[in-house]
Amino acid sequence: MNRRGALAFWLFVGPFAAGLLLFTYVPIGWSAYLSFFDAHNTVTPTEFVGLDNYTDMLTDRAFLDSIGTFSAFAALIVPTTVVLSLLLALLVNQVRVARAFVRSVFFLPFACSYVVASLVWKMSLFSGVDTGVVNTVFGWFGGEPQAWVGTVDPPLYWVVLVTVRLWLQLGFYMVLFLAALQRIPDHLYEAAWTDGASPGWQTFRHVTLPGLRGALVAVLVLNLINAYQAFDEFYNILGDARGYPPFARPPLVYLYYTSLGSGGQDLGRGSAGALVLALLIALVTLLSGRVLRRSSS
Amino acid sequence: MNPPVGHNRTTVSRVLVRLVLAVAAALFLLPFAVMLRQGLAEDWSTVGELFTDDEVPFARSLLNSVIVSVPQTLGQLVVCSLAGYGLARVPYRHASKVLYAVVATLMVPTAVTFVPSFVVVSSLGWLSDLRGLIVPGLFSALSVFLFRQYFLDFPLALEEAGRLDGLSRWGVFWRVVVPNSTGFIAAIAVIDFIGSWNQLLWPLIIAQDSSTWTVQVALSSLLTAQNPKITLLFAGAAVSILPVLLVFVLLQRHLVRGVTETGLKG
Amino acid sequence: MGIETSRRSFLAVAGLLGLAACGSNTGREGSAAGTLRHCYHAYGEDGVQDAVRRYAAAYPGAEVEVQWNPGDYDSKIVTALQNSAVPDVFEAQVKVDWVRQKQVVPVGDLLGDTRGDFVAALLESQTVDGQLYGIPQSIDTQVLFYRPSLLQAAGVTPPRTVDELLDAVKRLNTGGVRGLFAGNDGGVGVLTPPLLWAAGLDFLSPDGSAPGFDDPRAATVFGKFRELQTGGGLLLGAPADWSDPGAFVDGRVAMQWTGLWNLPKITAALGDDVGVLPFPKLDDSGAVSVPVGAYSAMVNARSADVEAAKAYVRWLWVERTDHQTEFATAFGAHVPARKSLSDEAESLRSGPAKDIVGFVVDSGRIASPSRWSARANTALSDAVSRIAREGADAATELRAAVEVARGEISRTGR
Repeated sequence: MNRRGALAFWLFVGPFAAGLLLFTYVPIGWSAYLSFFDAHNTVTPTEFVGLDNYTDMLTDRAFLDSIGTFSAFAALIVPTTVVLSLLLALLVNQVRVARAFVRSVFFLPFACSYVVASLVWKMSLFSGVDTGVVNTVFGWFGGEPQAWVGTVDPPLYWVVLVTVRLWLQLGFYMVLFLAALQRIPDHLYEAAWTDGASPGWQTFRHVTLPGLRGALVAVLVLNLINAYQAFDEFYNILGDARGYPPFARPPLVYLYYTSLGSGGQDLGRGSAGALVLALLIALVTLLSGRVLRRSSS
Repeated sequence: MNPPVGHNRTTVSRVLVRLVLAVAAALFLLPFAVMLRQGLAEDWSTVGELFTDDEVPFARSLLNSVIVSVPQTLGQLVVCSLAGYGLARVPYRHASKVLYAVVATLMVPTAVTFVPSFVVVSSLGWLSDLRGLIVPGLFSALSVFLFRQYFLDFPLALEEAGRLDGLSRWGVFWRVVVPNSTGFIAAIAVIDFIGSWNQLLWPLIIAQDSSTWTVQVALSSLLTAQNPKITLLFAGAAVSILPVLLVFVLLQRHLVRGVTETGLKG
Repeated sequence: MGIETSRRSFLAVAGLLGLAACGSNTGREGSAAGTLRHCYHAYGEDGVQDAVRRYAAAYPGAEVEVQWNPGDYDSKIVTALQNSAVPDVFEAQVKVDWVRQKQVVPVGDLLGDTRGDFVAALLESQTVDGQLYGIPQSIDTQVLFYRPSLLQAAGVTPPRTVDELLDAVKRLNTGGVRGLFAGNDGGVGVLTPPLLWAAGLDFLSPDGSAPGFDDPRAATVFGKFRELQTGGGLLLGAPADWSDPGAFVDGRVAMQWTGLWNLPKITAALGDDVGVLPFPKLDDSGAVSVPVGAYSAMVNARSADVEAAKAYVRWLWVERTDHQTEFATAFGAHVPARKSLSDEAESLRSGPAKDIVGFVVDSGRIASPSRWSARANTALSDAVSRIAREGADAATELRAAVEVARGEISRTGR
């Protein structure tokens, strides 16, 4: 009986477990192995270097900067996404005419790839020539055309990077908030009004917001993890045929160039960096989840 | 059901809400308008040029995207729903350990393991090979977890009725559970398909040979090239989003459900 | 939904999976056994792709399939060399790590008695430990193009020193026309080598045993580069990068740093109103310069048939001088890599082309030494970018780059 139970279990779970082993656990193990070797341009290195790759990465200014870049990016994108997607959800929730249509409009960019969005942002909306869409609008108000992607001081490129991600993901988070809003039972609102709460801010503060706690935690954590993994829009907007500049270089972009790109094919340092990063992400996810849950309970 | 927040609203604030939404909607549609205008401004000849341009094998890359995304989506559904069902319903001594091993990998985002995954795939000889693009994407721990959560709530009575009809566990899964879960499966499928169609980093690494480029890699290569052909690029972008827009419009109901499920449970 | 339907759809799914596994077309099954695959980066000049496909088709020894790669070509190549038998033949500039990992094979034996005909400095740049790993295809160089009419109108003489260049860029920035375009990164990518040479420095010391920019003059010259960035006359945010002549021929700038290859397009658009200069020097301890590079034909050591790949390289890049001349001179302007061919090239005998050939002979410097590793290069260009674009302290940034370069030199010297 026991053996038959095991057989049935593995009949269902086996294919997935094998794949998970081969494409997740073996890579992590192999990566750990590589991180202790001098693995330039090879996946079967012979020269053991101990912790050198780790000390190298942890003192590598470019790697530390990339974590700084992520932090700056997260500090910009997470609050704006949460506030704006919640705002959109609240507004959409109030209209009755054509609500599905309006929701679709905001959700539509979710179907668009980062590559395509980067293209529109870099080559058209924020193009540096005076016929770029944003520069044209600037021109109406007598503004000088700006090189949005190319200007480092002040860092105008952040405007491009943040707005493209907002456009792509606001709809997704709005849908999450909408679903959560519709789960708040009507009687809570009615009870609040009976208690004398005004229908505007007070109701929002005492009924809506508490009802959205779960969704808020989910949006914050998902948003943070996604910001950590930023690659596509950075690579396509700031990268070119010659490589990538040292600013606004998030961790994944740096690891890509270090280990697989034109930056050196150094799989030892690349693996060490990837493992450090994985550890950081796990810590941040656990901590943020815990802190948020505690503060909201 | 409409929450009664708006009950006591004045006409002024109602107009204001609509005005803000209209402006925001226009802003959201602007990038699509720009894409169509720049890519298809003259006429459809740019699209023809796109498919005959010898710089980038665009037609081939579109086909590759289909060959990758469709089996990847379907395969992932089969593999992950089976595993999710097994973890939720099939009694086994070590099931909880296996579940931990699955959930633990959710902590390690796949994008961070791209270096070691590249190592494994290249050892299998799958560089510049569509298998290297499809197969590793079949094993999504997140999908397994979501399927498990869903199957935990699946009505036991239905399954028991199936067992009484003489079906095995395998038979119950295919003949009772799957047919009664089409809504949830469609939701996961839409999310998977869009994700698969739009992914860049993995195909960028694996598809070295331009005959294995997906449409995202082709567009990205053109975009980061020294002398981008802008009109062609926009036409390519417009064509590349058609399949996902189609899926979006046809299956939006499921998509909304999928987002809600993946977002709020994951 | 009926049970039968679901079973059928399961079969359909399984069928599709099976199809995908067996029928995945990698481009490999599609081509005949023994087909050689030859990778090029995407040349911006019209006609190059047709030409190289034509050469490949004309090769009698084997089927050759040409692959054309827009985008970040260098990354594609290093990743492919990692673990792939594709491509068999590719163009690149040799890197010492490829040799250390035995990813490329020596090709010196293919030259035979033509060795003396190739420009010696180019062969030297593709040599590691005495072995040649790439056969130079044609010489690329970059120069400062300017519009004499605009300089005259602004009362500016063609700049011979870095200070004169800064002054010219500032004074030429009038009436919607910018002074200089050197790329959307402000020139960090292309101007770093000539700036080093302008100060009498280089990537590596003459014997290759130490970084060549561990010198206070490096901070001075990159400080000047910072002044260029903040002076306001530099064009940024152009639709196409420095390698395209668009900004210059469209009249957006009075001067552009770009490649010799654009000369035909530039003279077609601007006629006689074109002047060329090498990059100016900082002072008398430095020198004027033009960077010289050559994509070279190399053979992947993992190729299924290294000998066949080498035979093809010999045929195209050693024997077929007609193809080599056409490749260098018919699509945009390049200098053939062989003296006997450049002497014959009509298009290089007059006008700005003749001047540029003179710069190559007198002031040409190798822009990508084989011992200069990718990591050292990233460290230096990061430092220059921070100094020039973000205003970071030059001495501190350069010291960090020197440290990385020193580590890389000792690593690759092993």
